[in-house]
Amino acid sequence: MKRRYLLWVMLSLFILGMALSGYSKAEAADQENCLMCHKYPDLARIGSDGHVKNYYINEHIFLNSLHGQVACRRCHTYIKKFPHDPVTQKVYCGNVCHIKPPFAEENFSHRKIISVFESSIHAIKPGDSALMKKSDPDCKYCHLNPLYKQVETIDYGKTLDRCLNCHQRKGVTQAYHHIMHRLRHKTSRSSQQIVALCGGCHGNVPLMKKLGLPERALTAVNTYEESIHGKMVTLGSEKAADCISCHASSLLHDIYKPDNPKSSINEKNLLTTCKNCHKKINKYFVKIAVHPSLEDPHNPFLFVLNNFLLRLILYGTVFGLMGLLFMETYRRKKDGANMKLKSGTSWRKKKK
Amino acid sequence: MTASVDETTRRGPIAETLPEDYFTYVPGVGNIPRDIYKHVKSNPYGDLPRYSAHIVLQHILIFTTFITLAATGIPLHYANLFWAPYVISLFGGIDNAQLIHRSAAFVMIGACVYHVLTIVGSTVLKIIKKEFDIRRTQVPMPKDLFDLIHDVKYFLGIEPFRPKMEKFMYKQKLHYLAILWGSFVLIFAGTALLYPEKIVLLWPFDPSFIQDLARIMHADEAILALIIIAFWHLSNVHIVPGRYPAQWTVFTGRITREHQIEEHFLEYLRNLEEIPEEREYMRSLLSELGYAEKEGGPE
Repeated sequence: MKRRYLLWVMLSLFILGMALSGYSKAEAADQENCLMCHKYPDLARIGSDGHVKNYYINEHIFLNSLHGQVACRRCHTYIKKFPHDPVTQKVYCGNVCHIKPPFAEENFSHRKIISVFESSIHAIKPGDSALMKKSDPDCKYCHLNPLYKQVETIDYGKTLDRCLNCHQRKGVTQAYHHIMHRLRHKTSRSSQQIVALCGGCHGNVPLMKKLGLPERALTAVNTYEESIHGKMVTLGSEKAADCISCHASSLLHDIYKPDNPKSSINEKNLLTTCKNCHKKINKYFVKIAVHPSLEDPHNPFLFVLNNFLLRLILYGTVFGLMGLLFMETYRRKKDGANMKLKSGTSWRKKKK
Repeated sequence: MTASVDETTRRGPIAETLPEDYFTYVPGVGNIPRDIYKHVKSNPYGDLPRYSAHIVLQHILIFTTFITLAATGIPLHYANLFWAPYVISLFGGIDNAQLIHRSAAFVMIGACVYHVLTIVGSTVLKIIKKEFDIRRTQVPMPKDLFDLIHDVKYFLGIEPFRPKMEKFMYKQKLHYLAILWGSFVLIFAGTALLYPEKIVLLWPFDPSFIQDLARIMHADEAILALIIIAFWHLSNVHIVPGRYPAQWTVFTGRITREHQIEEHFLEYLRNLEEIPEEREYMRSLLSELGYAEKEGGPE
């Protein structure tokens, strides 16, 4: 009962917050009235795989998302009539939108970044196995059309008011949202979320084995979590490196095998990549293992040290000294020592 | 004068035959029996000098920074365990905790330097004044090993009395050596972790080796130190009989009379030489207990 009560309080606070925040300005994105049907929360069906698929669109959430100003059919291009046929095609993110960004000559498109992605290791390549084709991530695996987030330290309303001195509200609000979203962090996901996203597949060792990944890639998630970067990120650091800090340049999508000269973790590029965070480094620094395994180190001396010598010293010292302490306490108590030092002495006086 | 009959019965069957060195003759005081500590009066805040104000201050600096370092470092080592984020949140996030850890480390290194300066300085002063006595220092001696064996025999009931030990007994010397080695490892490994690009120049052939070694040693040494301090050191100084619930030496720098006589008997004899009041106290106690001074020792 208590939990339900808490839920209601949080829910009402959330609704109140949404109402007060003024984010939910209903702008006309739904030009073609798709929400006539999709506004119903129970608009769902059971797919051929037995899972319930929900087709509900929350207008207020969608309008505050990255694609809030894009009309439905700009992406869902295959919908030609109303009511539409069952959808069999997937959305293709490389479409040219009918939106022209400010100061741009051409209509907007994700084509440029998609071409980077398509050269990367994660793109589907002609020689790939069926399993690899199925396992390779597509755009939507990582990009979920998130809500805009603001920089916490900047007074959002005040700054926007200044912009409105010259610019039109609609366009500049959108642009402002967009820039602020990017200013927050290198990605809209936190470092922890990035590790969880990459680890979702790369931590699945049986799948990675089936896909034929090299040995060092199989342990990559575990060894990362053992490393100082991984531990810092696990505890919520925003400064420590996550997966894409090293494995991609500022393009974020250019992830290659290390032997590819374009790769940010190629031997020749390591110095540049590490310098993003570690300013004063030298050619030896980049040879330090970023994915070290302390359970199974590369050096036999470290293996023996970590697994046998240090444990022996630890247990030997602790149990030896504690044993001595217990013996001492037992004998001193037997000899007449009290716990407390009371009225000048801690030794029991025998009756004379 | 021998130990009277009731004295023997009072101590029970173990001490039916008294060891030869049961009485220690101190000129001007008398024959001091080894177990006199059971009869002396002690002030819980300490009667006799043990640590100078410098040492007390260094200890305070070391243990405050040690707690801070452990509280910010151990959760990082065990980042995957459920409690780690809660401890880190006490310091305002891991990025703050990192800064606090490094600042505390520099304060601790400062305290170590301060300690070395104090020790070296006072030793030089003592040598100049010709007061230096290596037996009153932390330098390990063969006697410590024999003391340990003797003490274990006492714990097992084979020996009736504890060994006569110096200002620093085997426990303290062991702990001091461990701290020397531990701080060396922790400071060196910590430096390697903080400045990997500089330390790597010491062994440029395998940069991963020195870094992994630093990581292993830093964590292991810290955990060893934490366990030893939390269980052994704190029990020894605050929980064992006679010290419970707290010993005040840590702040006052003074040791109780009964503790000094029991565990640091030879240092107590020096206290008798150096402190006239203590001599007076012991003389009156001895005559009260019936061990009046006679020339030439017992019998």
